[in-house]
Amino acid sequence: MTSFLTAFFSGTAQGAIYALVSLGLVLVWRGAGVVNFAQMGQAMFTTYIASQLIQHDYSYWSAFVVALFSGAVLGALVDLGLMRPLTSRKNLKSLNSESMRTAIPVIASLGILGILKSLAGIFWAGEERGFPSPIEPTAIKIGSTNLAITGFDLFVIGVVFLALGLTTIFFTRTGVGLAMRASALNPEVTRLSGIKVGSVRTLGWAISGTVSSLAGLLVTPRTNLSPNTLDLLLIIGFTAAVVGGLTSLAGSVLGGFILGYVISFVSVYSAPENVFIAILIFLLLALFLRPQGILGSKEVRRV
Amino acid sequence: MSKSISLKHKVIGRRSTLLAILLFLFFIALSKQFDPYNQAQLANIATLLIAVLSITLLTGASGQISLGQGAIMAVGGYASALLVTRLGYSMWLSFILAIFVSALFGLFLGLAAARLSGPYLAGTTLVMALAIPSIAVRFEPFFGGDVGINVDYGNPPRWLTSFVGKISIEEWSLYVVLPFTALALFAVLNLSNTRAGRTWRAVRDNEVSAALAGINIGRTKVIVFVCASGLAGLAGALYGFRGLVGPSVYPTDLSLTLLTAAVIGGLRSIGGAIFGTFTVVFLPDLIERITSTFEVPGAIANYLPGLAIGTLLLLTVILNPSGAAGLNERIHHRIKKTISKSGGH
Repeated sequence: MTSFLTAFFSGTAQGAIYALVSLGLVLVWRGAGVVNFAQMGQAMFTTYIASQLIQHDYSYWSAFVVALFSGAVLGALVDLGLMRPLTSRKNLKSLNSESMRTAIPVIASLGILGILKSLAGIFWAGEERGFPSPIEPTAIKIGSTNLAITGFDLFVIGVVFLALGLTTIFFTRTGVGLAMRASALNPEVTRLSGIKVGSVRTLGWAISGTVSSLAGLLVTPRTNLSPNTLDLLLIIGFTAAVVGGLTSLAGSVLGGFILGYVISFVSVYSAPENVFIAILIFLLLALFLRPQGILGSKEVRRV
Repeated sequence: MSKSISLKHKVIGRRSTLLAILLFLFFIALSKQFDPYNQAQLANIATLLIAVLSITLLTGASGQISLGQGAIMAVGGYASALLVTRLGYSMWLSFILAIFVSALFGLFLGLAAARLSGPYLAGTTLVMALAIPSIAVRFEPFFGGDVGINVDYGNPPRWLTSFVGKISIEEWSLYVVLPFTALALFAVLNLSNTRAGRTWRAVRDNEVSAALAGINIGRTKVIVFVCASGLAGLAGALYGFRGLVGPSVYPTDLSLTLLTAAVIGGLRSIGGAIFGTFTVVFLPDLIERITSTFEVPGAIANYLPGLAIGTLLLLTVILNPSGAAGLNERIHHRIKKTISKSGGH
């Protein structure tokens, strides 16, 4: 029973982080039709910025805010400086086929990933470093019995739910959020109704950068920080997005939590080494059985 | 009409044979000028060229991206290493069988992901690439865990040494790899001019119109991926027989390096693949030489090749998405234009 509770609570806390990563991927995918493979590279970079600030005696929370802000800036920069110019040049000969138009931004995102990783290695040396958490990761006690959940887990779950709540309000209650959903659904019509689709798309990249930066801040107290730490998080986030549905924001969050439970139960009941294989099997199963994802609205084109 | 087409085919067949033989001779002539270290690098290029050709085939002909071509190389490598060490097969036979094993693996992965439009193949192959080490560890008694399986090309056979004199191990590895490289080049060159090649290009350029022309797009994409996997598996087997088949030989970075080679050379061009492979193999060497002259600290120098390759990838995509081959084409076009202009006087 204790191992079940341990797996359940740590699955919820991990799943909350995966939900953020997957949400970030889906935001960009819906807005720009690109899976941003550099996303967790950007998060790694902003987490390093926070870590540097903390080392120079700034408080955790100021570093936290700076990291989120620089995540947004980095995301917007990637769109403005790279993705938008790339997709707008349709007159180039090599870009006149539809599959190449989708391939080129993916390759560009890999280039960014490579550059960010090398820069982080050059600036901050390659060795792993720890990243502090505002709350000690020790088990919460009631009387003398240890509960299966730590204070840090609760903190993670709380922050993520706050972020998800804000995102939901943003997308359902504000004009800009509605404009973003509209331009993801049909950019042509949205443009005709007077919304600047380009700016809305850049905002999507910025929000994606912020949530993945948050995921980086929340996961590194557990995993430590190195240029390669967050690679695993990217593929978990991708799998979560596919499981939940690449076209659905709610689906991506759901997929994140499902992956959290899968990974946590596998590592508690089987062995932590089997986590990778579990992710792979889970992804393949999802692709075979329901490629559009659990909540994916549009049928995946199986031409 | 049909006669002229068949005639053209013959010409193309002859040209690709010629090109494959020329490349073969070029590598051998080049290796004679080199020391053993650079001969080994040349063998590396000949091996990796096969894997880069598999990406040229996959992305250039069908428009799909694989971020885990290194993982499929690992499948080929493990297949051939196990066949040789466990079942005592000959090295040459194991290379051929590695093609089939990795093609079968490609079929499985392709049925899951390659039939779908979207980022599915890219993501799935990336997951595969990252999962290779833990699969090797999980089935340690079989795959040899973190360390891997030791295999090598062996010594050059007596008849060869009596024919050309004493040759180094590095040169022998080049002789083993080159025939396969030439064959792969020949196959890929010819494939693009067959009915299958034209079908693939149609799918790449416009899925809807290809579907309207009666092409089964899902099946075509899976077939392309299977062919590309076979090539990558062959490259993986040859790559492993340099000494070791293990997770450290096929890291995720290898997959990205291969993709970089294909992109900077030009995704649609076979000459581009050759150029790109030379670049990614010799660039780290060049950077190391520069950093050791300027005494750059090791912590920084370690990351410079990655930085250079990432920057090269990004610059190619921004400035010249059709790669070095496209640049070459454009220059040719410009020259032709100028010549015809001046000739018109």
